[in-house]
Amino acid sequence: MSDKKIPTIIPTINFKEKAIELLPEGASFEACLTCGLCSSGCPASGIENMDPRKFIRMAMLGMDEELSTTPWVWCCTQCKRCQHVCPMSIDISQLVFLARGNWPQEEKPSGIVRSCQLIRSTDSTSAMGLPPEDFVFVVEDVLEEVRETQPAFKNLQAPMDKKGAHFFVNQNSREPMSEPDEMVPLWKIFDLVGADWTYSSKGWAAENFCMFSGDEEAWYEVIKKRVEAVNELGCKVWLNTECGHSYYTMWNALNRFGMEADFKLESLITYYAEWIREGKLPVNSKWNTKNIKFTVQDPCMIVRKAYGESIADDMRFVVKTLIGEENFIDMQPNRSANYCCGGGGGFLQAGMTDHRRTYGKRKFDQIAATGAAYVLTPCHNCHSQMEDIGHHYGGNYGVVHFWTLICLSLGILGENERTYLGPDLLALID
Amino acid sequence: MREEARHFETELAVIGSGIAGFAASIFALNRKIDTAQVGNTGAVAYTTGYLDLLGSIEGSGVAVDNPWDGIEQLKKTHPDHPLCQVPAGDIRKGFEQFTAFLGECGIAYSAPHDSNLTALTPAGTLKKTLCVPATMAAGPKAFAAKTPCVIIDFKGLKGFSARQVVANLQDKWPSLSAERITFPAMDKGEIYPEVMARALEVPATRQELAVLLKQAAGDAKVIGLPALLGMHEPDKVRTELEQLTGLQIFEIPTMPPSVPGIRLREMFEQVFPQKGITLIPQQKVVSLDFDAGGALLTLSDNYGPITIRCKAVILATGRFLSGGLEAHITGITESLLDLPVTQPENRTDWYLDSYTDRRGHAIHKAGIEVDVSYRPLDKNGTPYNECLFAAGIILAHQDWIRGRSGAGIAIATAYKAVEAAEKFLHAAHALHK
Repeated sequence: MSDKKIPTIIPTINFKEKAIELLPEGASFEACLTCGLCSSGCPASGIENMDPRKFIRMAMLGMDEELSTTPWVWCCTQCKRCQHVCPMSIDISQLVFLARGNWPQEEKPSGIVRSCQLIRSTDSTSAMGLPPEDFVFVVEDVLEEVRETQPAFKNLQAPMDKKGAHFFVNQNSREPMSEPDEMVPLWKIFDLVGADWTYSSKGWAAENFCMFSGDEEAWYEVIKKRVEAVNELGCKVWLNTECGHSYYTMWNALNRFGMEADFKLESLITYYAEWIREGKLPVNSKWNTKNIKFTVQDPCMIVRKAYGESIADDMRFVVKTLIGEENFIDMQPNRSANYCCGGGGGFLQAGMTDHRRTYGKRKFDQIAATGAAYVLTPCHNCHSQMEDIGHHYGGNYGVVHFWTLICLSLGILGENERTYLGPDLLALID
Repeated sequence: MREEARHFETELAVIGSGIAGFAASIFALNRKIDTAQVGNTGAVAYTTGYLDLLGSIEGSGVAVDNPWDGIEQLKKTHPDHPLCQVPAGDIRKGFEQFTAFLGECGIAYSAPHDSNLTALTPAGTLKKTLCVPATMAAGPKAFAAKTPCVIIDFKGLKGFSARQVVANLQDKWPSLSAERITFPAMDKGEIYPEVMARALEVPATRQELAVLLKQAAGDAKVIGLPALLGMHEPDKVRTELEQLTGLQIFEIPTMPPSVPGIRLREMFEQVFPQKGITLIPQQKVVSLDFDAGGALLTLSDNYGPITIRCKAVILATGRFLSGGLEAHITGITESLLDLPVTQPENRTDWYLDSYTDRRGHAIHKAGIEVDVSYRPLDKNGTPYNECLFAAGIILAHQDWIRGRSGAGIAIATAYKAVEAAEKFLHAAHALHK
């Protein structure tokens, strides 16, 4: 991407005008001291010779052509950390969204565009293009196998299109497509707490790269399909799986597009915490006899950009209960001040590997500073990126889903459900 | 975006996230007052890390060696100055409580002593200050003893030049020299102290840097570095680098965005909620309404609207940068309640002709008036509301920049405002019984 010549056919946006339109109440460019807190705190600073401060100054100077064509807009993950640390609350990510949308489709990173096209290609809204009937087949197939091979779960359920179920649960395509056994721990958790839930054959998928492609119309269409799917089944709660951006794209879109939704949007993390507090999920840390250390990655999309501290607290409550408070080491900075890992904003799909890893160095340092053996995160993009930068920079940590550790703690993690466990954790099971 | 309204009830609400706001919350915590703090990220991230009480007598440009004597002197020439209204014992208690709290939370500070320290600035000039972070403490000592010392800077780091520091200090500190090194794995483009500080939280980076520092130090036993020795555990990072190098190491503040300020902000944001303070650090209060039972704050964050009901409020919203005061063509206003602002009569009187005029500019003394209980006054000269108190540089009659007294005013007046708020809360409680 970086050495690709950007053709001049990219239309030019008047960034200054847009920036002033988009300023939140009370924010002001006049008061910008160009202090650089935004750039200092941004992992994308320096990539493509750009940083947030430079971006906003260039906008104010009317350097619209440069800003309309800089590939940096695909390296900024729109994580909003710049706004978070800015005393004037200037939101550069909105300008980046505009700039992305302004690129001609054929010039945008093809991975992001393709993912958006695939999402729109079936009723599943799956970025991997998995059609509804295949999803239904995989779920039934895996369920049958679990019932046959794990006697404790011979009556396990994975309801599909169950009208009136309380929870509409979405699903990342990665599991049914490439690692179907990873769906099972969550089914077991639902079974254990007696949740009234269902998958849907339509609008079930959790990815939404259309927002990252800057294509507002496509973003709207995807959300519309998902909202209709939930409304059709009459579910009370759209329960977002361990995924960051699927939550944000839905939550943000409902307001942005003024959509009618007869259900609540919730995150699995909130319910993990609630079920543990209520005693429905009787997890504990007794299994962690070797005091294996864990840290947690706050996904920007659900912490800084949406719920804020409440979900960060819930995440820590769940983690500490699972592994023992003394075995938890927080990353610095954390919660709403946390760094984006570099897997967000479609970066993982954009094909800009070197840039993405440069961005991810900050996350790698954060993890390395904790000395933790594992990172827990309820986000698939965070998960993939942290694994990749771990390998790239020679890290010595693993990345695990919450559902894996919950089932491990409960002693119900099946043999095929242990992909992300290192030898130290496997040894504790056997 | 489904907005979820959240509501909090508390005894005391502190509006403002600068030094005054954070100090007020610490004092309230020490007095066991149930507290919520709100306000968007203030200028705290810009601080050098030094806590000044009084470094200069406003208008004179003369440095103050003993701030306690300096305040006595100030009483004669600037009797309206907020520091002149606070007994010395209370100022000292404020500083002691504030620095002790920082120390307990992982950022050790020197305690307030009887005289000022002579500390180094990013430009290699000198300033008087009362308390310094432990990571910087060896600097003033090395300067006082004129110990042979190497100031080291980094390729790609803007806003801190070892050569500049040495050039400005060479007359006073002849055995000072400068070196430039490349920070481990940061050999390209512009680099930021924040990024370097975080990288130094990783043990392997410390080991690599230690080798480079040792080489750069040559025969010197003391080195000065820009402030970047870790973000979350600065004292540990410095101690370990000292062990690895066998050198004494001190930090010198850098230009904003500087690490010492970010350290403080991140520490407050993490520690306050753990200690039971409801902290909403990123948002501005939109409205503040009073009724018989106290006050209601209205604001919102990414997730939706927030209301906070409290029995007393401390206004610590700062001056222009943080938005406590607003400058208009027609004059200066207070942004939240439109409190009367003491200010020059005409806009033409805001500034003297020369920006660097030692007498200072009249606009920098604009602010709100308070009574002896730190209650802001309305246009009739009576308290705006009995449950409203104010602290920090929003108060009139001080030019904290020229007086080198920003932290002093913030801490001293926050101490008094919380004391007054506590009295009010107790009285209200007794009445209620």
